[in-house]
Amino acid sequence: MDQRLVPLLPLVTKPARYTNHEVNAQHKEWSEDRVKMALAFPDIYDVGMGHLGFKILYAIINGRSDALAERVYAPWVDMQKLMEERGIPLTSLESGRDLASFDLVGFTLQHELSYTNILKMLDLAGIPRRTSARDEGDPLVLAGGPCAFNVEPLADFLDFVVLGEGEEVIHEILDLVKEKKQQGISRKEILRELARVPGVYVPSFYQPIYAGGTFQRIEPLYPDLPAQIDKRVAPDLGALPFPEEFVVPFAEVVHDRTMVEILRGCTRGCRFCQAGMIYRPVRERDPELLKEQVAKIVASTGYDEISLSSLSSGDYTQIRSLVKDLIDAYQGCGVSVSLPSLRLDSFAVELAQDIQKARKTGLTFAPEAGTQRLRDVINKNVSDQDLKEVVQAAFQAGWHRIKLYFMIGLPTETEEDLDGIADLAHKVLSWGREFRTSRKRPEVTVSVSSFVPKPHTPFQWVGQDSLELLTSKQNYLMERLRHPGIQFSLHQVEHSFLEAVFSRGDRRLGAALERAVDLGCQFDSWGDQLRFDLWLQAFKDTGIDAVHYAQRDIDPAEALPWSHLSPGVDAEFLLREWNLARQGVPTADCRWDLCSRCGVCFNYPVANRLVEASRGE
Amino acid sequence: MSKTMRFQFRKGPEVRFLSHLDLVRAMERAVRRAGLPMAYSEGFSPRPIMSYSFALPVGVLSEAEYADFRLTEELEPAEFMELFNRHLPPGFRVLQAAHLPQGAPSLMSGINAALWKLHLPVAAREEIQERWRRLQAEDSFVVERQTKKGTRQVDLLPLVYGLPAVLETGDAVEVHCLAALGSEANLRVEELALLLGFNPAEALVTRMGQFKKEGSHYRPPLGNRGFTWTES
Repeated sequence: MDQRLVPLLPLVTKPARYTNHEVNAQHKEWSEDRVKMALAFPDIYDVGMGHLGFKILYAIINGRSDALAERVYAPWVDMQKLMEERGIPLTSLESGRDLASFDLVGFTLQHELSYTNILKMLDLAGIPRRTSARDEGDPLVLAGGPCAFNVEPLADFLDFVVLGEGEEVIHEILDLVKEKKQQGISRKEILRELARVPGVYVPSFYQPIYAGGTFQRIEPLYPDLPAQIDKRVAPDLGALPFPEEFVVPFAEVVHDRTMVEILRGCTRGCRFCQAGMIYRPVRERDPELLKEQVAKIVASTGYDEISLSSLSSGDYTQIRSLVKDLIDAYQGCGVSVSLPSLRLDSFAVELAQDIQKARKTGLTFAPEAGTQRLRDVINKNVSDQDLKEVVQAAFQAGWHRIKLYFMIGLPTETEEDLDGIADLAHKVLSWGREFRTSRKRPEVTVSVSSFVPKPHTPFQWVGQDSLELLTSKQNYLMERLRHPGIQFSLHQVEHSFLEAVFSRGDRRLGAALERAVDLGCQFDSWGDQLRFDLWLQAFKDTGIDAVHYAQRDIDPAEALPWSHLSPGVDAEFLLREWNLARQGVPTADCRWDLCSRCGVCFNYPVANRLVEASRGE
Repeated sequence: MSKTMRFQFRKGPEVRFLSHLDLVRAMERAVRRAGLPMAYSEGFSPRPIMSYSFALPVGVLSEAEYADFRLTEELEPAEFMELFNRHLPPGFRVLQAAHLPQGAPSLMSGINAALWKLHLPVAAREEIQERWRRLQAEDSFVVERQTKKGTRQVDLLPLVYGLPAVLETGDAVEVHCLAALGSEANLRVEELALLLGFNPAEALVTRMGQFKKEGSHYRPPLGNRGFTWTES
C-alpha cells in the first residue's frame, strides 16, 4: 500500500480497506518489461472485493510473466477528503503506486450509478478525465462489464471498451500493448491497432450523427473499422481459466466467500432483464471440474462458504448432485454451501432444504409482477399455482420468513397488477399461518424496485414511469401492505430514474456526468450519498433533458445510440419479443424448448452447452 | 494430555488495522488452510473452538497476543507452530506454543495487566519522567470515559502500575508502561497517552506483554515465570 496513507488510517472508518497484505494478494516486481494493469473498481473495497470478474482477470493477468495486475478501489468519502487535503493521489493497493503510472487502467461497469465514481477516481489519480486531454504519458483507460453494451455516456472518458467476456481478449490486449510499448508507438496508433481486435470498441474513432437533436447513426472515422462491434463469447467455459487463489480480505466485505461460476448465461428470457440477453448462450461447467476448483479454492483461501454462482443457479443441470457432493465433502470442517439466485419453483425449496438442513433463515423469491397477465407480459414463466405450491412447501419445510421481489412500472401495468402484489403478499402470509411448522410467526418481506428500461432488451423502447407516478404507486402499495406480518422495502425512485437516463443515454450525457462530478456527485448508488438536487442542476446546466432520455417511448423505427454495440442478440428478436409482450404471449426457454431465434447461436460459433443430467435429475 | 494449544503471537504492522473480528476471521481461515485438526462447535454453523486474550484496539501492534485452540488430535507444539506459521497471513506470527494443562485458568481469567510500549515522535524523556513523578504525587487524575451506557468519571492513577522504562532513541521516546487490563479494571491506550500528555494519534503503541499480576509479580499466561516490578 501507499505509505503516505498510514498516518491517515487511524482517522478513517474501516482502515483495513486500505491496507493490503491479504492472503493470495500478488506483489509482482514492477519491472520495466511488464505490462502493468490496474483493475479499478468504481466503488469501495467492501463492494469491489466480491466481484468475480476482477478475480478472474487478476488471476489471468498475474499468471503471465510479462504482465502484472493490481487492485484499486474508490476511497470512501472520509479518506478521500484527507487525501485531497494532503495532496495524496489515488494509488493501487498492492504496490501503492500512482494509478497514473500503470499502462492500463481498467474499470468495470456493473451499473450506471457507478459512473460518477469513475470520473472521481480519475480526478483523484490526476489522470485527465477526457480521452482527448490524455497524452503519451497517461495510461490507457478502458472498461468492460454489462454496461459496456451501452457505454456511450462514458464515450468521452474511455480510451477503449471491451464487449463481452474478458478471459480471451485480455491476452490480445496485453500482447498488443506490450509489443507497441516496446516499439514506442504512439497512443493513437495503439488505439488504432486495438480497434481492430474483435470485441474492442474505441469510442473516439466513432462519430455520432444527430439531426434536430435526435440521434441518427454512428459512423466509424476510418474505413477499416467495423460498423458494429461484436461481443466476445467463448463456446466452452471449460476451456477458460478460473482462479484457484482468491485474495482473502481481512475486512468484512460483501459476498465474502468462495465463488465458483457453475454456468454462464440465462435463456429464461425475462423481457426486462439485460443479463438474460447479453450473456447468452447458456454454458454449464463440468461438475467434476467444479469440485476440483472448489477443493483448490477452499484449500488456498480457508473460506467457510462456497457460493455456486450464476444468473440462475437452480437451472444448472446437475445442481442437486453437485450441492449434495459439496455438502458431504465440506460439512465436517464448517464449510457451508450457498446458492445466490434461486428461481421460484418447488425444486428450489428442496434445494434450499439440502443447504439449510436446520437453519431456516429466509427464502427469497422473485415473482416480479403481481398478476399472471403481467408475468406473461414480462415472460416470467411462473404461475399463481407454482407460487402457491412453492410457498406452502417452504412453510411446511420449516421456513417462516419469505421475501418477495417485485417491480413496479412494468410496461402495461395497471392498478390491478399493483393490487395483485398486495394480494400475493397477504396470501403468502395466510399460507404461512396455515402451513407453517416453525414456531415462529410467519413474516413476509416485500421488496419493490422500479422498472428501468435497459438497452438490448425487448423493453428497451419503453419509457419509464415519471418519478411522481412511481412514487404514487409506491404509496399505493404501502397503504395496502400495512400489516404487522409484512415488511415493505423500496428502492429510491431517484436511483431508478438516473439508471434509466444513463442506460438509454447517448454520448451527449457525458457533459452532464462531468458537471455532476464537478458539483460533488459520487457514490450515487448509496442511499445516503445520492445528491439528486445536484444531478438535476447538472442536467440543467448542460442543457440535457433527462426526462426525455428516461421516460419517452422510443419508436422502434428510430435509431438507437447503442445498436452498434452488439451482444449478439438480434434487434428483430427484441422487437418480436416486445410485440409478443404486448399480446401477453410468453416465449419458452430454448434450453428445453424451441429455439427462440434470438440470433446469438447464428452470429457466433456457440450453442447452449449443458452438462449431462445425472441419474435422478 | 490436554488437546488445547495455547500460543503467543505477534500482530505486526501489516495487520495493525485489523479489528478483533477481522483477526478472528483471519485466524479461522488460516486454520482451514493449514488443515489444523480443530475441534468444531455443535450447532447449525459449526465454528472452530478458539478463545483469545483481551481484544487489541485497532491500530495497536502486539508482541504478546494469546489464543487457545481446542484440537481433536494431539500435536507437538513445534509442529503446530511450524504448520500454522506457514499459513498465517503476513504480519501474524506464532512466537511460542504449549499444551495447556487440564484445569488451567482461561486466558481471560488468567490476565489482568498489560505492558504497553508507546513510541512517541519527540525527544521528551525527561519531560515524561518529570510528569510521571508529579502525577504520582497527585491524589487522582480523573478523565471522562465514554462507555455504552454514557460517560463516567474514571481516575486513571490507580490503573497505572508503573513505568519500568522510558528510553530515548534519536528524536523519539519509548515509554514502557504497566497498567491494568481486563473487565474489572482497565486502562485504555488513549488514556495512557492522555495521562502522559500526548495526542493519542501521535503514539505508535505496541502491547509487549499480558500478565496475571499478583502483588508485585507479573506472570505471563505462557512460558517463563515472569518478573517482579515495584514502582519506587
